[in-house]
Amino acid sequence: MGAPLAVVAAVARTVAQLWDKPLLGVNHCVGHIEMGRMVTGAHDPTVLYVSGGNTQVIAYSQRRYRIFGETIDIAVGNCLDRFARVLKISNDPSPGYNIEQMAKKGQKLVELPYTVKGMDVSFSGILSHIEEVSHKMLASGECTPEDLCFSLQETVFAMLVEITERAMAHCGSQEVLIVGGVGCNLRLQEMMGIMCEERGAKLFATDERFCIDNGAMIAQAGWEMFRSGQVTTLEDSWITQRYRTDEVEVTWRD
Amino acid sequence: MEVQRALEFTLSVPFPSPLNARIAHGALSPDPEPRKAEVSKELTVVENLLHVRWRAAEARLLRVSINSFLDHLGLVVETMEQFGPPVPR
Repeated sequence: MGAPLAVVAAVARTVAQLWDKPLLGVNHCVGHIEMGRMVTGAHDPTVLYVSGGNTQVIAYSQRRYRIFGETIDIAVGNCLDRFARVLKISNDPSPGYNIEQMAKKGQKLVELPYTVKGMDVSFSGILSHIEEVSHKMLASGECTPEDLCFSLQETVFAMLVEITERAMAHCGSQEVLIVGGVGCNLRLQEMMGIMCEERGAKLFATDERFCIDNGAMIAQAGWEMFRSGQVTTLEDSWITQRYRTDEVEVTWRD
Repeated sequence: MEVQRALEFTLSVPFPSPLNARIAHGALSPDPEPRKAEVSKELTVVENLLHVRWRAAEARLLRVSINSFLDHLGLVVETMEQFGPPVPR
């Protein structure tokens, strides 16, 4: 992601100077969270941030979005996308969407590794396992591609719901907000909704217009930062691909 | 230990005004060279000219750095054309 960051930074710095306006550097995940909070009206949610590049469970405490758990290898969206390639599932409109549709026709739950490690999760082993066994199982008629889509979704989403629930228990939180591209998945929303209902908590989720990366989320987080008095000087506006969610001081919340 | 930087390259880019040159400087300066130890790049502004001076030990690294700089410079110039001229201040 170095090249797109460099491009947008150069343009943003130029425009800020041309128009003599303040510049604000925004953390990507904080963009997702702030837009999600604004769009759904969630007040102080436990956040599940799931996309092609990140998988984190986050809760706010004392001016930081703190990471309670995360993937120790690949992101859940990356796991789904690569699984789609193994099964030669179409990229149109997106691999995740097609997996979701196929999963609705799944009949059989194929047992897959369930890899929750404390508050963290791991997806690379599940992917390797599927890569190894899927073609054999499909050739022998042991299961269908739809069964595999269904089984993979059920397994990885159950893992995500588990660590989200544990974070809620830690914080005494009664709200969950799902953000990031994988957050579009209605089955994930449904499973999270069941967990929330059992705990008397409330689920906040959005559709693909807000889940998928967009400029408005950066604008919203930037606006919150600006309102609380932050600006980024040109010298401090260097880009980085290693900018963790908990590095940001959240000056706009109590 | 000072790395040997045998190769040098300089570039002077004229802008329509000193302010435009300063804006380009501000837009292109913040990001550090990915391989700081092996390539150094200095940007300065004199009047309406943006001066850039590279020093590097290896031609390969020098070329990569110059190429990337020219790409970003082109982007900044296009942005100025699209969204400029600078507001009076």
